[in-house]
Amino acid sequence: MRPHGIPLTALAAGLLGAFPPAFAQEDEDLRMLTTPQSTVEAGVGYVDNDNLRFGMFNGLHEQGAYGLLGVDINRRDDATGTWLRFQGRNLGLESRDLRFEHERQGSWGYFIDFSQIPRISPYVVNTTLGGIDTTVQREGAVPARDVRLETRRDRIGLGGSMQFGSGFDGGVKVRNERKEGTRLWGQASGRFMVEPIDWETNQVDASVGFTGERLQLVAAYYGAAFQNANSFVDKLNAAGTPQAVTPVALPPDNQSHQLSFTGGYSFTPSTRATFKVAHGQIKQEERFSAGIAGALPGIPENLGGRIDTTLLQAGISSRPLPKLGLRADLRYEDRDDKTPVYVYTAPGATSTHDGRNEPRSFENVNGKAEASYLLPAGFTVTGGLEQENRKRNTSAVRSVSFRDETEETSYKLDLRRSLSDTINGAVTLVRSERTGSDWYVNTRNDGSVGSNLIHPLHLADRDRDKVRLTLDWVPTEPLSITLVAEGANDEYSGRTLGPREGKAEFYSIDLAYTFSEKWQAVAWTSRSDTRAEQSSCLGAAATPPAIPVPTNIGLTCPTTGGNGVWEARLRNVGEAVGLGLKGKPTGVLELGAEISYTKDRGEFQQVAITPGIITPAIPDAVYTSTRLKIDARYALTKRSGARLQYIYDRFEVDDWYWTGWVYADSGTPATTVRQDPVQQVHFIGATYYYQF
Amino acid sequence: MSDLRKAGLFHAPMLALVLVGVFFAGDALAQRQDKVLKGDAQCTRCHDETEEYPVLAIAKTKHGTLADGRTPTCTSCHGVSDLHVNRPPDAKERPKPDRSFSKTSKTPIAERNQACLACHQGGNRIHWQMSMHAGRDVACTSCHDVHTQHDKVRDKDYQAEACFACHKEVRAQVNRPSRHPIREGKVVCADCHNPHGTAGEKMLLRDSVNDTCYTCHMEKRGPFVRTHAPVQENCAICHNPHGTANDNLLKVRAPWLCQQCHEPTSHRGNLAGFEPGTGNTNRTRGITQARSCLNCHTNIHGTNNVFNDSGERSFRR
Repeated sequence: MRPHGIPLTALAAGLLGAFPPAFAQEDEDLRMLTTPQSTVEAGVGYVDNDNLRFGMFNGLHEQGAYGLLGVDINRRDDATGTWLRFQGRNLGLESRDLRFEHERQGSWGYFIDFSQIPRISPYVVNTTLGGIDTTVQREGAVPARDVRLETRRDRIGLGGSMQFGSGFDGGVKVRNERKEGTRLWGQASGRFMVEPIDWETNQVDASVGFTGERLQLVAAYYGAAFQNANSFVDKLNAAGTPQAVTPVALPPDNQSHQLSFTGGYSFTPSTRATFKVAHGQIKQEERFSAGIAGALPGIPENLGGRIDTTLLQAGISSRPLPKLGLRADLRYEDRDDKTPVYVYTAPGATSTHDGRNEPRSFENVNGKAEASYLLPAGFTVTGGLEQENRKRNTSAVRSVSFRDETEETSYKLDLRRSLSDTINGAVTLVRSERTGSDWYVNTRNDGSVGSNLIHPLHLADRDRDKVRLTLDWVPTEPLSITLVAEGANDEYSGRTLGPREGKAEFYSIDLAYTFSEKWQAVAWTSRSDTRAEQSSCLGAAATPPAIPVPTNIGLTCPTTGGNGVWEARLRNVGEAVGLGLKGKPTGVLELGAEISYTKDRGEFQQVAITPGIITPAIPDAVYTSTRLKIDARYALTKRSGARLQYIYDRFEVDDWYWTGWVYADSGTPATTVRQDPVQQVHFIGATYYYQF
Repeated sequence: MSDLRKAGLFHAPMLALVLVGVFFAGDALAQRQDKVLKGDAQCTRCHDETEEYPVLAIAKTKHGTLADGRTPTCTSCHGVSDLHVNRPPDAKERPKPDRSFSKTSKTPIAERNQACLACHQGGNRIHWQMSMHAGRDVACTSCHDVHTQHDKVRDKDYQAEACFACHKEVRAQVNRPSRHPIREGKVVCADCHNPHGTAGEKMLLRDSVNDTCYTCHMEKRGPFVRTHAPVQENCAICHNPHGTANDNLLKVRAPWLCQQCHEPTSHRGNLAGFEPGTGNTNRTRGITQARSCLNCHTNIHGTNNVFNDSGERSFRR
């Protein structure tokens, strides 16, 4: 804060007497300081190299020049409070955004916006597949060539709002999006295929609300519809004959509708209750006509898919004593899948399904309560309890282990310090215990017992311990330090195989230093380490005889001779470091620079538990990224200036994901996929800006 | 101020001239005019753009649109602040306003937030008091800049930066090879989360994880003839939307991801390896590379195919 000496206003008034023209200048300055500012920026940028990572989403994926154009118009009629806004970002690129808004503040408003999101696949495909963006794809149809798969979303939004007076308001937003392009897909037996995307989605969000001093209410409708121009892809081999697993279905049209009523009431300034009631319906009724030729007789014309959803939520927060805060929340969600059941495929006697479709219903009840107490020296201690019960349904014949209920109880303890000038922070401990109902016995279609070994990740018993430490420290006036440390440990159990253990650690340090009013610097580094251990059983048959495994492992594997238990030990280590500098070396020059380096390493270790199993070594997958950004703005006049941007982006990948992989195509040569191990891009941009 | 000093205005002759000017401008001072907000003259006689936290730019914002009768005065947010305005003679330092919002403010955070909620409790902020942010002492001004035209957290290019001030682990994740276009400002935190609190989990925009994902990935919603149970239950069982090192934001890459749930009968328990073969034989490339299990199980999110074939049931067609 400026020292309270002679105030500028008084000084200005004095200057008015002494130097009237100088006061007029201040008047102009005040006008500039208090009138909404608009900016137009235009120039050109250049990318020196084709690339698929740097330009994945921003439209700068090809070597060449690009127009750099942005507008940010903000005009206000002060007499009526009417705003006119026009914003355009990346207008010369495929990632452009446009928005026009007209509003009389406190009365009415409307907007229209447009946005494009490109997405370039990071892979280059070399293939003879023809018709890749169509619903009939044929291997060997064209000479092998490099293909870049990409999609683009084009969105148009419209909306309006109105204040009706007395606290009532209403609004509606409509969004239409078209997504077109191609995406890497696959077909049974290792054949290459592409998903042709020609989708349209529409969303409507309409609401009427009331805002009073104590009571707030919102009644809303949300509707969303998805339409796919295509239903199936037919895949042909080089001879033009349909391949074995074809046609392949594309996502069907579907829609959802939801009505909701939300509210809050403040009984006192420190006691408030909230609620939400919502009921929705999801429908999927696309005709089966395209694939009906190979269908069983007697199935309906369409799935008749219908899911009813219900949400009930109520919460209360209160501060009954100045130092005591209480919060409680209860949420009930029900997803009732009312889709009619038919036999769609004819199963074999020992199949792990009975041919019927399998509607999925879920019910979830979540309750939590929390109490906070203010201690001396700015400390607050918080204790919390959370209980979540989930129910699911399943089909009579299954291939995956199942339990219909899981219950998870979490205990939280949080000690926090705030409002200190030097050190604030928190330590949070969370202990969660998840268990559930008895496991179902998987049976085959003929009633015989199937495989019952795995506890699936989301159904298994799990004990989870988490700790999180945050610290904001200001050791000296110009320096601030932020530390974050997190640890989590998961222990899984339930059945014999599946996830066994999970660990996660995360550390970060951020430093910010203010050298002077003109120069500031930031630096940060972080490290994450995530591990998972899980066991499986090699080529197991579903029934005994079992091969004994070391008893200290505690695993059994009902398997045929020669096979046994193995374990995957998966790990991901992420490291990042960055440095940023901002400065105003002169009154007309602003500089910003940032350099960052990230490295992600995946480890995939496979270990034999039953002696004698051959467990191939899987190399690490390593991704590194280095990025330097420099941004300089030079003011040519009070209102205009030039901006220079420079970006250096280097992406390196050492991954076995596609190396040596050749699809089992009938085209010659067969399809391969590759990515450049090193992608290096320089981008330079120069723009002129004008502010008014 | 320093510029004025540099200009030599405090040299004695110049000061005398200014004082003469002040004398003649006495009437103007007596009738100080508001510069920005209603009744702000008492504040702006001291506070202006030379402040460390400039105040006049609030005029460029919705708060400074005087034609809207709902807009606040300085005291609406900061309190009447008599002691601040009229510094007691024995006070060594000028007392702070009744409510201040800086990082080192001693005003309790709930009280700071109440200043905002007095007008902004409706709409998307109905659930604020129940939110994790409210429960963890997050102030509105931790994220929002009220006195500037450019409130960074409401700008797609800068919003994530504001969130990463606390969510450091997410900052690391959004830079991983498989990610949403957050860096490019094409997807922002507020596209999925309402940081002001919601009735659902994780302060998500819609009532559940899946409903939030469907706003952009509606093709996954179904229902399908063949549904994949975890897909219908929670997208986050398999995906981490903030970014991963595996294609398609998968938490773990196949086949190990699939082996976390699927019984190891037939080929499902096979080991990854690089022996020749594009099928599902143990230790072959087909188990391991390219899309791994998804090479064959193409429609893993569900299929509406009614072809009478087991491939339809196992999402292969």
